[in-house]
Amino acid sequence: MIDAALYLAGRSLVNGLRRRLRRLRQPKYMIGFAVGLLYYYAFFLRPRGGGQSGTALPGAAAEVVAMLGLMALIVIGWLFGNSRNPLVYTPAETHFLFTAPLTRRQVLDFKLLRSQLALGLSSLLSVVLFSGGHFPATRILRIAGVWLVFATLQMHSAVTALVRQSLEEHGVTAVRRRLGAFVIVAALVGAAALTLRAQLGTVQEAFVDDPIAGFDTLATVLHRGVLGVVTWPFAALVGPAVSRDLATFAARLPAALLVLAVHYVWLIRSSIAFEEVAVESAERMATRIAAWRSGRRPPPIAGPAKPTRRALTRLRETGSPARAIAWKNIQSEWRGSGVRLPVIIVIGLIVVAWVASMGKEAGSGLIVLTVLCLVFGGLAVVFGPYGLRNDLRSDLQLWDLLKSYPMRGADLVAGEVLGPVTVLTAIAWGCVLAAFALSFTFDVETFPVADRVAALLAVVIATPAALAVTTTIQNAAVLFFPAWITLGPARATGVEMIGQRLVMMVGSVVVLVVVLIPAAIVGAVAVAIAGVTGITGVWLSVPGSIALTVTLVFEVVLAFAWLGRVFERSDPATEIGGGG
Amino acid sequence: MIDVQGLTKLYGSLVAVEDLSFAVAPGEVLGLVGPNGAGKTTTLRSLVGIIRPTRGTIRIGASDMERDAVGAKRQLAFMPDEPRLFDYLTVAEHLQFTARLYGVRDANARIPALLQELELGEKTGALPEELSRGMKQKLAIACGLLHEPAVLLFDEPLTGLDPAGMRRMKHTIVERARQGAAVILSSHLLHLVEEVCTRVLVINRGRLVAIGTIAEIVASRPDLQGRDLEEIFLALTGGGP
Repeated sequence: MIDAALYLAGRSLVNGLRRRLRRLRQPKYMIGFAVGLLYYYAFFLRPRGGGQSGTALPGAAAEVVAMLGLMALIVIGWLFGNSRNPLVYTPAETHFLFTAPLTRRQVLDFKLLRSQLALGLSSLLSVVLFSGGHFPATRILRIAGVWLVFATLQMHSAVTALVRQSLEEHGVTAVRRRLGAFVIVAALVGAAALTLRAQLGTVQEAFVDDPIAGFDTLATVLHRGVLGVVTWPFAALVGPAVSRDLATFAARLPAALLVLAVHYVWLIRSSIAFEEVAVESAERMATRIAAWRSGRRPPPIAGPAKPTRRALTRLRETGSPARAIAWKNIQSEWRGSGVRLPVIIVIGLIVVAWVASMGKEAGSGLIVLTVLCLVFGGLAVVFGPYGLRNDLRSDLQLWDLLKSYPMRGADLVAGEVLGPVTVLTAIAWGCVLAAFALSFTFDVETFPVADRVAALLAVVIATPAALAVTTTIQNAAVLFFPAWITLGPARATGVEMIGQRLVMMVGSVVVLVVVLIPAAIVGAVAVAIAGVTGITGVWLSVPGSIALTVTLVFEVVLAFAWLGRVFERSDPATEIGGGG
Repeated sequence: MIDVQGLTKLYGSLVAVEDLSFAVAPGEVLGLVGPNGAGKTTTLRSLVGIIRPTRGTIRIGASDMERDAVGAKRQLAFMPDEPRLFDYLTVAEHLQFTARLYGVRDANARIPALLQELELGEKTGALPEELSRGMKQKLAIACGLLHEPAVLLFDEPLTGLDPAGMRRMKHTIVERARQGAAVILSSHLLHLVEEVCTRVLVINRGRLVAIGTIAEIVASRPDLQGRDLEEIFLALTGGGP
């Protein structure tokens, strides 16, 4: 079985590399590859002065930072993660493995083993990228340590997903089966929080005196009493990765391996438990159906099926096909994304503002909230187009279907881009308008109301165009380099994808700068002309914003026409494979 | 209705389709058959405008696929072997979306009848993930038929259907042809081709091997006299034991 897993992993890697190398015959991929190599060399591999890499933290700091980072990842995974198991079987694996004469555990082992090669390569890359060009022999130990962390995290994520999935699908049944574990974990976390609260003053004082001493004190606190029990698995796991020599590594390795082994057993048990719960749930459903048939009142079910969300707006019968595409993408965003994240963000903003204003004069919380709204709106504009992918990045999975539509390529690209742009514009405008409204609750002598109105107008005008530019660049990337972009909602992992994303990100920024230069020049000219006509102060930003927006829109329309032609001339079979 | 002249598609040095010419009249059902890798899917994808031929012309009605792709596609419906649907549009929304793309002005009147005909009436609010394989296939067909296309292209239309579904699908194909549509049907199922198609086009390694009714093909090759369609197919494509 191990032989088979290694054979599959090895051959898949070799054949995948061969395919990528063959693709390099196309100039666009060769150029991208060369740029990628240069980027890696310039930013990560080129030896820099100073002798040591900048990642070395003094004293206990490295261990504490790594441990807290790991804890944060685990907590975020449990609180905000989804029920998508990272150990998902491909259709081919399902077909070959589940029908093969293997036990359920062997199938799981196969999957775990197969993924180790990718995790090992990711560990290697992570260490090399942050080596600052210096790679002493002891770094090999760090690679092994990081691999242990990655492998354990992968299993932990799988367990998290299984538990979440079980809770979502089987409700009370699943909770009842895990009640004991939940109570123990809650009691430990509660006790740890109380201990930490009691020691917080001491740690704060130590940090004020000397940050290094602060880390030492924090490390001592974290390793003592109930806190020590709670943090032990985290400390044990990161121990080898932060070891500075072979002796320390060897001493810490058994504990890390123990944590890994416990996770392995946990994953196997969770996997089997999930199936048992599913069977139990199926039995309950069978009982329910039997009760209906016999005329008795059926027992309550675990939970109702999720209803399909109503469409945000109705699509009119006639009109531009581009708007139909945009409408479809907005529906996908509406139905595909949960309401949980936006709600958490809003609550988070309010809580942060409240905490930040504690002990200060009344009203300072609203000032913080105003600033946070502006920051969040800005983040939506800058990073939103990378996150919302309901456009060509998602739809090119149905490339042949899109190509069969009776519409110009330019219209299709425009429709695809306008979907996420509309959603992000609504978010950004919401944030800015909220900040504007909040600004009336406190005095800002240096920023009178008239100026605030001008700034609001300038931002509101320019936001859709700025978003359209960034989103168009992302869609252009997927049209030119479809093999380098993850199509669909899933995010591919692995070494080459990290590199490709970095290359795409740098390329996108370069294109963005090139696109912004003419718009900025036109905007500056408009500001200068407006200044001559007597407009002053913040109000100058309004004509500047209008000129900037007009130029950006012009550029985007040109881009739609160009990308439309690229789409019309594209061949799905050549780019992402298909029947022939 | 469909006129293909000198269709050639090259992938580098690989010849997928070479110098293929044929025509399909309204009311006709042309069976496109050939062994795996013969170029059937490439031919169909070229006809729909998904891929651009290296050489040759494709006319759908009065529209040339190269010069007026939008006009040509408006008259077409392509039914791939796997239904291609959007994850977050319901059954009814798929039809409304398709109507908008194809400019179907009386869609609101047509959609209920079509849903009823294809037994999707109770699933209008369902997302694709809530549908069975056969239901998804029906929805894809409903989307294809909504704009009453003059040309219908089917790629392995019976894949994944139960016997009742197969029967309905065959009825749909024949009925649309009877109403005047030109139909091309690509399939490995020779009994389906024999049952539904008025003519057959056999291709092998991208080249046309034979075209016509089965009687015409047999008449042009006296050595095929008395053989069944499977034997004729194997003889024409050089396959078989």
